[in-house]
Amino acid sequence: MSHAPETTTQPGDIARLISYVALFAVSAGLFVEAAIIPTSRFEVLGAGAFPMMVHGVLMALLALAIIRSLRTIPAQAYAAFPSVALRWARDKRLVIVTFLFLAVYLSVMPLLGYPLATLGFLLVLTATLAPKTPASMAVTVVLALAFSFGLNWLFAEVFNVFLPRGS
Amino acid sequence: MDAFLTGAAEVLAPTTLLYMLMGSIAGIIAAAIPGFTVTMAIVLTLPLTFAMEPLTGISVMLSVYVGGYTGGLISAALLGIPGTPSAVATTFDAFPMARKGEPGRALSLGVWASFFGTIISTIVLIIAAPPLAIFAVKLGPWEYFALIVFALTIVASLVGHSLERGLIAAMIGLAISTIGTDPMMGRPRFDFGLEILAAGLPFLVVLIGIFAISQLISEVEDANAIKKGEKLIEGEIDFKTWAVMREVLMRPVNLLRSSIVGVLIGALPGAGGSIANLVAYDQAKRSSKTPEKFGEGIADGVVASEAGNSATAGGGLIPLIALGIPGSAVDAILMASLMVHGISVGPRLIMDNADLVYGMFLAMAVSSLIMLVVCVLSMRAFLRVAEVLKWVVVPAVLTCCVVGSFALNNRVTDLYLLGFVGLLGYALRALDYPLAPLVLGVILGPIAETNLRRALMTDPDWTLFLTRPVSLLFLVAATASVAWAVRTHLNRRAVDLTGKDPT
Repeated sequence: MSHAPETTTQPGDIARLISYVALFAVSAGLFVEAAIIPTSRFEVLGAGAFPMMVHGVLMALLALAIIRSLRTIPAQAYAAFPSVALRWARDKRLVIVTFLFLAVYLSVMPLLGYPLATLGFLLVLTATLAPKTPASMAVTVVLALAFSFGLNWLFAEVFNVFLPRGS
Repeated sequence: MDAFLTGAAEVLAPTTLLYMLMGSIAGIIAAAIPGFTVTMAIVLTLPLTFAMEPLTGISVMLSVYVGGYTGGLISAALLGIPGTPSAVATTFDAFPMARKGEPGRALSLGVWASFFGTIISTIVLIIAAPPLAIFAVKLGPWEYFALIVFALTIVASLVGHSLERGLIAAMIGLAISTIGTDPMMGRPRFDFGLEILAAGLPFLVVLIGIFAISQLISEVEDANAIKKGEKLIEGEIDFKTWAVMREVLMRPVNLLRSSIVGVLIGALPGAGGSIANLVAYDQAKRSSKTPEKFGEGIADGVVASEAGNSATAGGGLIPLIALGIPGSAVDAILMASLMVHGISVGPRLIMDNADLVYGMFLAMAVSSLIMLVVCVLSMRAFLRVAEVLKWVVVPAVLTCCVVGSFALNNRVTDLYLLGFVGLLGYALRALDYPLAPLVLGVILGPIAETNLRRALMTDPDWTLFLTRPVSLLFLVAATASVAWAVRTHLNRRAVDLTGKDPT
C-alpha cells in the first residue's frame, strides 16, 4: 500500500472537497433513512441503530474534513479547477473509455450471454489498448476467443458453473 | 502411536500424495485468479472426494486449502490484486517490491512465510487444540464485539499519510456493510426497493471492485506507455529461493508472532484469514523499528501477512477437531466431508477416530511441503506473468474478475454492483483515499453489528463489556492501540512541520 505524501496540489484538494460534500450528503440521507427503521420489541438496539452510529461518525469526520479544506484552499484555486479537471479527463481518456466499455459489456451480458458479450468486449478493448500491428491483432483475436468461448466451456464442462447464456 | 502410524500410512500412500499434489496445484491456481476464493476451490473439490477413503479425501481438501492460502499471494504480488480476501495485506508490500524490480523476491518471501506459517500452526494445533478450543467457545458476543473494536484500530496502520481520509474510508466500508438485510432480524435496509441492493453488497464483489477493477484500470492511465507495449514489471527478474528462505528465517520473531496471531484468529469461529493477515501486518508494523518503510516494499510486511493468513488453516481446525464446531466456511465443508463418510464430528472425534485426527495433523504438514515444492518449481512460470504486456493483462484479468463475481452467487446483478464498486474504487484511489481501511470496514462491519446487538439482546447491561475480563482486555488493548496511533501520527506531523524528529 503505497501512498503519495499529503498533497498540496489545489485541484486535488478541490476534488477531495467535492467528494467530502457528496459523501456527507449521501451519509446524511442514509442517517435519516436509518432513523425511521422501526425498532424491534425483542432487542434494545433496532436494525437502524448500528447504521446510525456509523453514519453519525462518518458525518462528523466529513464535516471536519470540509471545514479544514475550506480553511486551507485559497479562493483563486476554485477558478482554475474546471480547466484542470478537463485536462485530467483528457490525460485519462483510456480510463474513461475502459469504464465505458466495461459498463456496456456488463449491461449487454444478460441479453447476449457471456461468450458473445465477452468476445465483443475483449476484441474492442484489446484493439483499443494494443499497438496497431498484425501481431497484436492476432493476439487480440486469440485472447478474445480463449477468454470468451474457452472460459465458458471450461466453467460449464469442468466446474459445472454456467455463465450467463443470454436471452 | 498405532493410531498415528495408521494415519501416517494412509496420508503417505503414493495415491494419496498424488491426489494431494493435484489438489495443491488446483488450490494455488484457483486462488491466484482474482475472484476465486479458497472456499470455492474446496466446494468444487468436495464431490470429487466422495469416492475416496475419509482420510484421503480430507487430505486432498487440506492440500487445496493450504495451496489456496498461498495462491492468493501470486496476483497480490504481481498485479496488486489480492487473489483471495486473505491476501489483502500482502499487496501492501509485495506489490511495491515487485514493481521495484523484485517480483521473484516478493513471491519467494510469501511462499516461504506461508510454509513456515502453516508448519507453526500445525505444531500449535497438535499441542494446544483442546485448551484453545475450549477457550474460544467460551467467548460470548461481548468478547467478540470487543475483539472487533480492537481489530478496527488496525485502521491506524493502514491509513497511509492521511489519517483523516483513512478513517473516512473505514467508515465508508462499515456503511457499505449495513446495506441489505439486517443480520439479526432480517429487516431490509437501504435497498430502496431495488433488487440489486436487497441482498446487500457481497464482500467478494466489493473486494474485487475496490482492489482489482481500480488497480487494473489505473494500469491504463498512461495511454502512451500502454500503446508502446509496456510490461507489468520492467527489468530483469531475479529469483533466489534459498537466499530468500534465509531472509525469512532471519525474522523469527515476526514469523512466530504472525503465525500465533493467525492461529488465534483462525481458532475463533467467524474470524479467519481475511482478518488475520491484516492483524499480523499491523502487529509487525507496530513492532518494527522502521514502521515508515511499511507499504514501500519491506520484507517484514510480506512475511507477516503470509505467515498470518496461512496459520489460520491450522487455527481453524482447532475448534473443528476438539469440539466439532467449524470456525469458517472452509472448516464447515471439511466437516461436511467427514459426515458424508459417516464420521460424527465432536468432542469424541479424537477418541473414536484417533488415526483420522493424527492423519489430518500430518496431512497439514505434508500439504504445506507439497505447496512449497509446487511453488518453488513453478515460480518461474508464474513470474512470466510479470512480463506480459499490459494491454494483454488488463482485458484478460478484467474478464476473470467478471467471471469470479458472477460465479460467487450466479447473480447477474452482482455484475452491475461490480462495475459500480469498481468505479467507486477508482475514484477513491484517484482522490488518494487508502482502500485497505474500506475493505477492513466491510469485513468487520457485520461481525461488529451482530455481536453488539446479540450482547444487548442477551443482557441490556452495557457495563458487561467492561466487567467481563476478556472483553475488558480487548478494549484496553484497543485503547492502547489508538493511543499509539495518535502518538505516531503527532510525531510524524511534527517531523513534517519542523523537519526534525521530536524524539
